[in-house]
Amino acid sequence: MIERLQHMAKKVGRPLYGNRRLISYYWERTRRNKLAVFGIAFILFLILLGVVGPFCTMDPTMVDFEKKNLPPVGFTAVKSLYHIETDELTTTEIHGTWKHPLGTDSKGRDMLAMIVSGARVSLLVGLIATGIAILIGTVIGVLSAYLGGWADNVLMRFTDIMMTFPFFLLLVLIVFIFGPSLAFIVLVIGLTGWTGTARLIRSESLSLRTREFVIAARALGASDGRVIFRHLIPNVISLIIVIATLSIPGVILAEAALSFIGLGDPTVPSWGIILEAGQHSLDTAWWVAVEPGIMLFLTVLAFNFLGDGLRDAFDPKSNV
Amino acid sequence: MRKSWLRDYIIKRLIYAVIIAWAIVTITFVLVRAGPSSPADRYLANMTASGQDVSQIVEAIEARYGLDKPIYEQYAEYMVNLFHGNLGWSFSTSMPVIDLLKNHWIYSFQLILLSSIFAAFVGILVGIYSAVKQYTKTDYIATFFSFVGISLPNFWLGVMLILVFSVKLGLFKTYYDTTLPLFSLDNLKALVLPVMTLGTGMLAGYVRYTRSAMLDNLRKGFVTTARAKGLPERTVIGKHVFRNALLPLVTIIMFDLGSIVFGGAYLTEIVFGIPGLGQISFNAIFANDYPVVVAVTLIGTFLVLLINLITDIAYTYLDPRIRYD
Repeated sequence: MIERLQHMAKKVGRPLYGNRRLISYYWERTRRNKLAVFGIAFILFLILLGVVGPFCTMDPTMVDFEKKNLPPVGFTAVKSLYHIETDELTTTEIHGTWKHPLGTDSKGRDMLAMIVSGARVSLLVGLIATGIAILIGTVIGVLSAYLGGWADNVLMRFTDIMMTFPFFLLLVLIVFIFGPSLAFIVLVIGLTGWTGTARLIRSESLSLRTREFVIAARALGASDGRVIFRHLIPNVISLIIVIATLSIPGVILAEAALSFIGLGDPTVPSWGIILEAGQHSLDTAWWVAVEPGIMLFLTVLAFNFLGDGLRDAFDPKSNV
Repeated sequence: MRKSWLRDYIIKRLIYAVIIAWAIVTITFVLVRAGPSSPADRYLANMTASGQDVSQIVEAIEARYGLDKPIYEQYAEYMVNLFHGNLGWSFSTSMPVIDLLKNHWIYSFQLILLSSIFAAFVGILVGIYSAVKQYTKTDYIATFFSFVGISLPNFWLGVMLILVFSVKLGLFKTYYDTTLPLFSLDNLKALVLPVMTLGTGMLAGYVRYTRSAMLDNLRKGFVTTARAKGLPERTVIGKHVFRNALLPLVTIIMFDLGSIVFGGAYLTEIVFGIPGLGQISFNAIFANDYPVVVAVTLIGTFLVLLINLITDIAYTYLDPRIRYD
């Protein structure tokens, strides 16, 4: 009997990680969703761009006022020049060149190089901040569900307070007070963005706690740590993957929004910072505001597609 | 008599709301005052520019506003004032905070109200249609565009709308004109782009929520019964399915509203230069004007808590089976 229970606890307790068959099954289900496949493809492209890209493009910080406001390839822009001696206004047409395929900004910096370096920033911010948030959220959620009683109460009231706190305002406040360095911004987003995860993981763990295999494991004398790490956490992994994928866009957007309102790290060219500069030169160089926004939009879209696809794939009730 | 338990519940929730609001005010206060800069810095810059002796003046100003006292005394004073309904004095605009709020809340309110109406109306209709026509081309298109809508960074959307409709086409002004009377057609026109900016994301969210809430109910037994009775499809969808979909829908819409007050609206106001609460709190942060920052945070927090409470009470009317005792 005991051997059978042990066997059961072992088998059911490892649903996703370390189970090849299940991973290939979920992958098969995800693959059927075309939008999710687009999401994966774009994210892979972005990772490639962020890792390899900066070595192939020119220096994104190189200023060249001779070549300012060059339009992207295939576009022309009208440049007006006022001659003080002749009191005349001459307009010249400038065409985009292949040297700067995406054009240049008002300081003559290459847009392609800046977009590529922005990809690296956005990915790093998205992955690290989400990692921190998910870690804290999972720990608090599982502890809260497993310990119950007053510990659960304290943790959940704390979560309530954090949840009610206007997230973006808190971010603006903290970053303004302690200075805009990228590492700090990532840390703050991670430390404030875990509330939703904690709630979801808690409710999922609560229902797992009463399941037979957990009761069996405890009846067999498994320690709290063992139950948490071998039975509870492996079983919420699929939920964690979905939450992580769906919270990355929010994190990337938060960083971009911060940069957009002038609280970004001025030493790192992120999409939000380019966008902020582009906002002020809409009439002379529209592409400076358009290009980083398109990248931001596609990135967020890709993660949303993938997250949605994964959620459907993990959901046994949905037929994909 | 039926809802006598509801009163106790509301009182309990209000007490809870006050405690949370207190915690948030305290955190905000400490955060703002713990920073290295002081509201007197603004005067300092002006004084140095005109060649006056700075050190004495800063001391005078700090003494005048009680900024030289230890932070816990300042906190105690602030809380006592708050308890008496006094929100303090705004350093950067030189007026009582309450007057500042009175002058500016309407700009946020009109933006959020119009965006919500636009988003809820269009979003719910499209969502219902999409669910009823599940797996048709219309449904796929609606689903795809709802993804696009939730993924569009709203501040970028605002900049793009300005680029296309104001800079290129010249249909609208590039900024929000505050001289317009509030209840005029011109003001409504000035709000078109901001409402589209804030409303698009909300709308896309509502399409998704409505669609999934409708789908949850469409295959239930009572729907088949209603159809079997020979009820017209309109009645089945409108009265039977939608009514039941309303409950989860209200939850999520209200929850969304709470997060929108401080997220989307905040950025929309900054993009278009609308002088709402988001904009003044933003300016106040940069000016170290802590009474304004704390007051706006407090109001936002209280609104969110109030909306949550109203949602929970609304449940008991939408679904009389729900009890909280």
